[in-house]
Amino acid sequence: MDVSQLQRSWVEFLTALFNEGFLDSQFNQLLQLQDESNPNFVAEVVTDFFHDSERLLNELTGVLDQQIVDFKKVDSHVHQLKGSSASIGVERVKNMCIAFKAFCEESNREGCLRCLHQVKQEYFLVKDKLQTLFMLEQQIVAAGGSPPLM
Amino acid sequence: MTMMSSSSSLGSSGGEKFPVGMRVLVVDDDVTCLKILDQMLQRCRYRVTTCCQATVALSLLRERRGGFDVVISDVHMPDMDGFNLLELVGLEMDLPVIMMSADGGTETVMRGIKHGACDYLIKPVRIEELKNIWQHVIRKKKWNESRELEYSGGDDSDPNRRVSEDTECASSVNDGADGISMSHKKKREDKEDEDDGELDHEDPSSSKKPRVVWSVELHQQFVSAVSQLGIEKAVPKRILELMNVPGLTRENVASHLQKFRLYLKRISGVAQQQNGIPSSLCGPVEPDAKVGSGGRLDFQALAASGQIHPETLAALHAELLGRPSGSLVFPAMDQPVLQSSRQGPQCIPSERDVQFGQPLFKCQSRITKQFPTSGIGENMSADFSIWPSNYLGTADAIKNVGGVNNTPKVNMMMQVLQQQQQPYPVVSEPHHIINVQPSCLVVPSRPSNSLSVSQGSLLLNQSSIGVQSESSNKFQSENSSGTVKSSSNINGVPEYRLPSLSNKASLHLEQSVVGDTTNIGVLNGSSVSFSSSLSSYSTSTNSGTGSERKAGKSFDQAQARNLGFVGKGTCIPSRFAVDDIESPTSEQCVRNTSTGDDGARVKQELQLDFTDSSQVGGSTMLPHFSSNNFMSVLSEDGLQGHFTEC
Repeated sequence: MDVSQLQRSWVEFLTALFNEGFLDSQFNQLLQLQDESNPNFVAEVVTDFFHDSERLLNELTGVLDQQIVDFKKVDSHVHQLKGSSASIGVERVKNMCIAFKAFCEESNREGCLRCLHQVKQEYFLVKDKLQTLFMLEQQIVAAGGSPPLM
Repeated sequence: MTMMSSSSSLGSSGGEKFPVGMRVLVVDDDVTCLKILDQMLQRCRYRVTTCCQATVALSLLRERRGGFDVVISDVHMPDMDGFNLLELVGLEMDLPVIMMSADGGTETVMRGIKHGACDYLIKPVRIEELKNIWQHVIRKKKWNESRELEYSGGDDSDPNRRVSEDTECASSVNDGADGISMSHKKKREDKEDEDDGELDHEDPSSSKKPRVVWSVELHQQFVSAVSQLGIEKAVPKRILELMNVPGLTRENVASHLQKFRLYLKRISGVAQQQNGIPSSLCGPVEPDAKVGSGGRLDFQALAASGQIHPETLAALHAELLGRPSGSLVFPAMDQPVLQSSRQGPQCIPSERDVQFGQPLFKCQSRITKQFPTSGIGENMSADFSIWPSNYLGTADAIKNVGGVNNTPKVNMMMQVLQQQQQPYPVVSEPHHIINVQPSCLVVPSRPSNSLSVSQGSLLLNQSSIGVQSESSNKFQSENSSGTVKSSSNINGVPEYRLPSLSNKASLHLEQSVVGDTTNIGVLNGSSVSFSSSLSSYSTSTNSGTGSERKAGKSFDQAQARNLGFVGKGTCIPSRFAVDDIESPTSEQCVRNTSTGDDGARVKQELQLDFTDSSQVGGSTMLPHFSSNNFMSVLSEDGLQGHFTEC
């Protein structure tokens, strides 16, 4: 595949992510922050996000597994996940976090567990999508091009 | 990430045009957010420093005072609540802080506002919002400038208003007729503060006092103690008891309390909004009574708020604060050390400091003698240490009062002055009756009494004018004539005249102000509120005597004692409104037994309620301050740097 073809598929893929609600305009901001001086900015930030999110999800799993759930802790973790997912622009994760927080405020353990499950699903889904996007990007770079400006 | 470089104000280097190069500190425990913000801010061409721990950010801010123009902080952080950071920054430095959180709930945002955040960004933060944050820096700066202008009476005579410290010191030396020299060194150390940057108020390194770093935990303990007691009733001693932190002294707490009040005051934004309410001088500033409306008169606060000119304050102080005669000791302002006796004016020039005229307090020698000097000294020193050097002037005054009177009733004055509501142990004899001269003149103690009179020159905020008064026979003699002259080596000699009080006391207090004639102008321009309170005070003091007293008499005879509230200000005579202030608060009641010329003893119960009733004539500039707030204001302007110091 030549560069333009790769670029086209990259754009299509990304557009789909927006259209399907995986990503929102915040992700666009990230893309715009990436420039020659910082060519891997988006990938770096998103990788950080993955790392952080997985830590949080693990902790959430652990806390909700306790006999007596520390909802304050749950709320704190969910809050952070919400903040970082919002900053990345992974909208569906962020939305799940909002629902999660609501259950947390009710001290609704069942609701929280359900939300945790859904958040994980959304998270891994978008993680998969983003990794695909980055792979496409790497292919473009490998082919001597650069991802087109959105 | 850019490292902070210079500490220049509104940091921009070279030909960069603001807001390019604006120094931003970002604090967020969320690394992802931090990275994004960093990139965004750099895109805005700011100089960015990021930090993922609030505690680290705080120490960074403390270490590099003046190194940042604006702080952006997350609300939820594990090591420190963002609001705590906001609060501490608000207490210690005059930086705009922008809060941000994924939580955009009204309550949370409101909390940010209440804690003094200048903005609240909801995550995800967009670059469009960040492009605009420079306005907060400008806004803050403008506000500060306008305050400074108010201080200087609307003119830019600041340079002229600098204290000629050397002169002052020299004069003080000269005044030390007793051969008791005051420690000038200490005062000089304060000078180091003089040239601080505009936005940066503190230079902790200039203080030799042991520093207490108010960690988040400590501050939280403090806040919970205060809230437990209620801000109105929170006094350092009680707070200290509640906090129960080994090693922490009452002085530490007092200083912090002061800043805390200031902080509350500042975030209320009242000072700015309440200009032009002369009569409200004593009114509580904050509806929510966060700042006590307890009716403590804080002149400094007024000064700080720019409503009162430093000079006015000085004069006021001179009037209000008597000089201790006899065995009273004035603690050095910056030193917690006990000084058994001091004579002569002390200069404590430091920038932003308000210089208050030395308190001219005349006490009967015998009264003072009643108190063991050492005891007094200790008390005073203890009190003294409470105040950061900037406060020294006030502290002196206060101490003077306390020391002189040693009467609980006299405490009123102290309390009034202090606003800190610190119950002063100074009073050694609870039932001691203080004779107050009817004339309400405060006369500096005489050297002849062998009292160490310290004239603490009080530092006015940002005006480095030192007012010196001489403690000397001269005063007395002049007092007898109804005029107190303090002659010092002063460039300008503004005359402070006591406004004729309703009580008819016509005393003229002349203070030579070290500084320039500017001072006079300032005085003229100074808002009257200050004076009004004085006048009211004096009035009440005088009431009961009903006659003009001759200062000479009272002083010489040692029967009459002045509480030290004297009207003031040559320049401001017309502005004094003499109002009687009644304070409901018992603690503020001072009973004075005054011996008048007629020889009749008058017992006066002075009640000062600064909070409500005082009306200041002609002081259109005065904001509505609760007296408690005054101090806070002062501290705000000048004392911030001392937050960590005492």
